[in-house]
Amino acid sequence: MNASSEPSTSAPRTAGPGDDAALAARLAARDPAALREVIACHAAALHRACYRMTADAHEAEDIVQEACLRLWDQAPKIAARHPIGNQAAATLRLGGWLQRVVTNLAIDRLRRTRRLSDGEVPDSADEAPLADTLIEAGERDGTARALIMALPERQRAAIVLTYYEELSNADAAEAMEMNIKAFESLLHRARAALRQAWTAQGDAP
Amino acid sequence: MSVSEQDQGAPIVPGSPLARVLDDYAVPGLSAGFADRVLAAAEVRPAPLPEVRRTRGERGWRLGRGIAIGIASFGALATAAAATGLLQQFDIPVPTAEKVWASLTGKPPARAAAPAPVIAAAPDAASEPASLARVEIVGPVDTPEELSEAFRRIDEVREGRYAARRETIAQRIDKAIEQRRSAGLPVPTHEEEAAFRQRVDEAQARRQQLADERIAARRAEMERKVANGEALTRKDIVQPLREDARALERLRQLRRMSPEQRREALRQLPPEERRALMDEYRAQRIGAAAPTPAVPAENAPAE
Repeated sequence: MNASSEPSTSAPRTAGPGDDAALAARLAARDPAALREVIACHAAALHRACYRMTADAHEAEDIVQEACLRLWDQAPKIAARHPIGNQAAATLRLGGWLQRVVTNLAIDRLRRTRRLSDGEVPDSADEAPLADTLIEAGERDGTARALIMALPERQRAAIVLTYYEELSNADAAEAMEMNIKAFESLLHRARAALRQAWTAQGDAP
Repeated sequence: MSVSEQDQGAPIVPGSPLARVLDDYAVPGLSAGFADRVLAAAEVRPAPLPEVRRTRGERGWRLGRGIAIGIASFGALATAAAATGLLQQFDIPVPTAEKVWASLTGKPPARAAAPAPVIAAAPDAASEPASLARVEIVGPVDTPEELSEAFRRIDEVREGRYAARRETIAQRIDKAIEQRRSAGLPVPTHEEEAAFRQRVDEAQARRQQLADERIAARRAEMERKVANGEALTRKDIVQPLREDARALERLRQLRRMSPEQRREALRQLPPEERRALMDEYRAQRIGAAAPTPAVPAENAPAE
């Protein structure tokens, strides 16, 4: 599902129960090696999702960096809520926490961009002029990006998280801080909008 | 939702044409040295702001404090309104502490210490001096002795009333002077005060003299009736003269009116009647110590 041109960073390691709590404790103790470890584990996936939402590599890096720094800031509080050896420690998932922060930051920036620019990011997916313009862009990579970019930001996030990042609906809903039912409804609308935009391009079988 | 709409929202099947298009969305890798940049930024990042002091645990206390302040403020305002008489202006009854306590304990409220009665009440039989009981009035007054005894008892009551009025007038004058002094207003000198008191006494004396004249005429008539063998009842002695009764009733009516209505009613009266009423009213104002209208002494209960 991921394109071959994706970074070669390894997939997020599977953290055992309590591992993330130990990592948070090290972050709280201001251990730079712990932050480096977090970046090695999660930054690539976060950047991937973020880039697919913003279509801007620099913006995506900026967002991932901001998320990592927020984790650095919030680590003492997170570690205090999930002390090692406690039952709460097993429930801590730093990847999920970072994914939620990155998703929110990306949506915020997309909304800000939409306010500042004159409709560079369209509100709806089925606007024919945009589809026509995108068809003219030609390349398949550009087509896929245009299809994703044509979606409203929350629908875009839902597609990126569930299709590209292969998160379960529950995890994706948590990343977007939504009720599962509301997320499923959003995802349904996102898929429908995506198909309509694709059909409008005339590539549908 | 129609079937086609459901299809539109169905999951994207891997390998489908749409999936193939989407899979072509290539992602560039993270730039080199990303982790170093983040670590460098973390080093120079200012310390996060301290936590807000308000925590979830304090919420209950903040709410309780707000409620307590609200109740205290309401109580203070209600107390101030009750103390200044504002509630009475809106016909809101304000129970006294004695009534509240009585409602709690179920005992009748103890009578508050009433101010000293301004008018001397008719002496009851138990407290009467022994001299008053020298002649016993049995049944209607039909002998000169019984009539004299009735007159003597009435005079006792009248003297008590006059003494109470004089005392009240003196108290009011003292109070008015004291109020002026405490307010920083000029107060009369001793000579002015003495002259004022003398004028009041003279007015009282004039009024008393008029009353005495009327009473003497009535008593002469009653003595004549008794001498003729007629029997007088309490009602005959106590009931005011017809013209006095009319004047009193008119005064009572005027008192019940508003100031505007009273002025209009006085304007419509014949001049001599109006003058008489005003004289009567002024006389009562001077001797306002008595809560009941100044009536001829014969109105007082004879026993």
